[in-house]
Amino acid sequence: MKKRVLTVDDSRTIRNMLLVTLNNAGFETIQAEDGVEGLEVLETANPDVIVTDINMPRLDGFGFIEGVRKNDRYRAVPILVLTTESDAEKKNRARQAGATGWIVKPFDPTKLIDAIERVTA
Amino acid sequence: MASRNTAKKSLKLAPVLDLNEATALHERLLSLKGAPVVIDASAVERIGTLCAQVLMAGARSWEEDRMSFTFAKVSDAFVKTTQLIGVDIAPLMAKEI
Amino acid sequence: MDMNEIKEIFFQECEEQLAELESGLLKLNDGDRDPETVNAVFRAVHSIKGGAGAFGLDDLVSFAHVFETTLDCVRSNRLEPNQDVLKVMLKSADVLADLTNAARDGGSVDEARSRQLIKELEALANGELPQAAAVEPVARPAPVAAPAPAPAAAPAVTDEGFQPVAFSFDEFEANEPPAIEPTTFEILFRPKSELYAKGNDATLLLRDLSRLGEMSIHCDMDGLPALGSINPEAAYFAWKISLKTDKGEESIRSVFEFAEWDCELEVTLAGDHAAPGEELPMQPVPFDLSMLDEEIPASAGAGEDDDQVAAQQREARDDAVSAAATASNVLQMAQTARAPAESNRSAASASAAQAAAQQAASAATPTIRVDLDRVDRLINLVGELVINQAMLSQSVIENDTNGTSSINMGLEELQQLTREIQDSVMAIRAQPVKPVFQRMSRIVREIADMTGKSVRLVTEGENTEVDKTVIDKLAEPLTHMIRNAVDHGLETPEKRVAAGKNPEGTVRLTAKHRSGRIVIELADDGAGINREKVRQKAIDNDLIAADANLSDEEIDNLIFHAGFSTADKISDISGRGVGMDVVKRSIQALGGRINISSKPGHGSVFTMSLPLTLAVLDGMVVTVANQTLVVPLTAIVETLQPEASAIHSFGASQRLISIRNSFCPLVDVGRILNFRATQANPVEGVALLVESEGGGQRALMVDAIQGQRQVVIKSLEANYTHVPGIAAATILGDGRVALILDVDAIVAASRGHSLKPEMSLAAAG
Repeated sequence: MKKRVLTVDDSRTIRNMLLVTLNNAGFETIQAEDGVEGLEVLETANPDVIVTDINMPRLDGFGFIEGVRKNDRYRAVPILVLTTESDAEKKNRARQAGATGWIVKPFDPTKLIDAIERVTA
Repeated sequence: MASRNTAKKSLKLAPVLDLNEATALHERLLSLKGAPVVIDASAVERIGTLCAQVLMAGARSWEEDRMSFTFAKVSDAFVKTTQLIGVDIAPLMAKEI
Repeated sequence: MDMNEIKEIFFQECEEQLAELESGLLKLNDGDRDPETVNAVFRAVHSIKGGAGAFGLDDLVSFAHVFETTLDCVRSNRLEPNQDVLKVMLKSADVLADLTNAARDGGSVDEARSRQLIKELEALANGELPQAAAVEPVARPAPVAAPAPAPAAAPAVTDEGFQPVAFSFDEFEANEPPAIEPTTFEILFRPKSELYAKGNDATLLLRDLSRLGEMSIHCDMDGLPALGSINPEAAYFAWKISLKTDKGEESIRSVFEFAEWDCELEVTLAGDHAAPGEELPMQPVPFDLSMLDEEIPASAGAGEDDDQVAAQQREARDDAVSAAATASNVLQMAQTARAPAESNRSAASASAAQAAAQQAASAATPTIRVDLDRVDRLINLVGELVINQAMLSQSVIENDTNGTSSINMGLEELQQLTREIQDSVMAIRAQPVKPVFQRMSRIVREIADMTGKSVRLVTEGENTEVDKTVIDKLAEPLTHMIRNAVDHGLETPEKRVAAGKNPEGTVRLTAKHRSGRIVIELADDGAGINREKVRQKAIDNDLIAADANLSDEEIDNLIFHAGFSTADKISDISGRGVGMDVVKRSIQALGGRINISSKPGHGSVFTMSLPLTLAVLDGMVVTVANQTLVVPLTAIVETLQPEASAIHSFGASQRLISIRNSFCPLVDVGRILNFRATQANPVEGVALLVESEGGGQRALMVDAIQGQRQVVIKSLEANYTHVPGIAAATILGDGRVALILDVDAIVAASRGHSLKPEMSLAAAG
């Protein structure tokens, strides 16, 4: 069965890259444009793993992760943070919010698929 | 079929035994205490450490109560995961029939 | 969708982000301190950097990175975004735009400028003040001391955490750690409960660990409480692992990268601390754990060579990923599916769940992209419909004697409907003037820099919409006018202070709708038109007679005459041989008008009025020698019935008409267009007073006025061929083709046999 990935990113460029990469790697991809939309589509997306950006309008990645972790049904879903923020402080905040792991941009398909495989069964 | 309080009870495990399933599994097991239990793990696709912990805690409790706690049917995924994490279920495998 | 298409999307997105960036910075410049504004600005640069990194656009990445770092200082309140800081940032936004364009079109950028700004941005991030701030008489560290740190020339490279990597698919091989002699490690792994709370699981980490080599494991269950007192979500199990691998300790640690904070981990070489008594029962872990991971082919059996299997795994992964490099039509299908899905949604009220699903699947945007060609075709068809409807109405009216039939009512409704369709279709092509206005702010900055003036651009009504074709043609005249306003309109800061004004000048650009047209105003709070100087110059250039008696307004409007410039010295900006006459001509070519009003000492206001679309035209339908012509209403100043006493002969065949106190050349349209051989009698016709490109007025002689109406413009060039003196054609309600006059061309043609254009003004008074 195809694994379902929910991606949350406000950049159209990155969304398209994620879509192409994930679809070609055999994942089913559902996309949201910011944290608010990400939480809204959680139910219908029913993801096996979530990939989210940090800097987004309306609700940023930290808030989104906290929201997922508070959701009774989806709190166990692994969340990967996809961001250019490589410094310890940002990683730390994401981790505290409940992120499972991270992928340091620039966007690299291999790193992405690799990280997804690491956190999914 | 037997009508005594030692009548065997059975528990069928859900396909996905993750963080969300651990509490439910814990409650189900607690409710079965006092009777021999046969666990059906044939549908298990995924088992995480938390549920493995609950099952192992159950096995110990049943052992203390001197009741049988056995796995009747197990899926490949179940066997392989327990092997991977070094949990030996061979002694708990049902041997009858 | 392949990488090139995504790259195109990236550049489109850059454009949007750059606009966002600029408008955010301008808001900050106006004192807006909303954290969301700062966030939006930061995100814009961040987003550009992210995409640029994926495409290996290193120049763009380096600059965006420095910019972002400085913006982060603002975001975290470490840097106050005062005007000096924002000046640097606005310039940086311009450079970022240049770099983006260069990355797209392969052009070059002003490297010195970008290096200089990198220095300034870094200085700001390091808590130093911009050099401009040194002017202020406040005790601050020496302004000269804005030396960027020495190695700052290539900042992105010095930042360890940030390495731009080109979008590449064979990365995996390169990252593979070098093979080491197989070594046995002993690993103690004790997860904390947080590990599970974050959606991770020890089983996954152990799985990845087992892939590194030959592994045996002991699960420590000593901490496991009785079932009654267990917390089902707490961590109790711990492991001791023995792993024989040739991948080295680094690979082991990297398995635990995500879990680092949420577990206790010890990795030691086996035998290092071999406590002889402490022999734990270790269970060998069979290598074939394929059930745990559907991605890995299940072919590898236990005991098979590790390297070979690892290679297979790698290949499987690479196959999956490299497929991303080949063009995929998955996304395209998703996109084509989107349009109908969108319309379905609005048509039938889909259930909320369905709508949410669609949204999730398509990441729905509230817009769709449509080829301009398609819209134009639609507009054309609607034009035909309008004409057809008018023809139908006319023939019904002509044949319907009693005039009360229900057909008439139906026709009225049809007319109403047609009009609405036309308006709606026109609205499709309508776009806000915002992008053009935003471009102006950069132009203001550049000219302010060049002239050493301090200028603030205020824009209003940016969301006012107008047809795309109008917008496209608006940028050039507007650019010139802005340059003119800053260069000629505003005074130097010193002069302004001397005049008791704010040293910073204000240029206000406003757009609004007024009676079916768009009105764009450009106001400056400069010195206003120096009427004495303009007048003198006009006299010197023989534009007006030395004793001409002109109103203030007339003098102001002299600046629209060809070759007129009041600047004492020719500057870089306005000395390009482009005068306000060119501006006026291009505005008129759009069917617009331009006026100036000026108050000495308080500034000038240029007012442009433009049609909302170039597809329809308000025209006056006239008859000339039995032909029906349309004169654009915008060109007509007034209409009059000439009296015999007002007509004066001039020279051999030319005539003038006296209007109030001035004389105006009379142009017989029928003669110019060769509709008739002899001149018509002016008294039997009507004169249309029109304004032409030189600013002079002419009286166009026509036989009669039929009325005013909106007509659909049909290009003559596209359907027939260019005809001198004719701008375009239209089809009237009765089905006849009517030609639309090119007023400027008619006037120009009349000059050959007519007075010098300047004479009209010289004769005034």
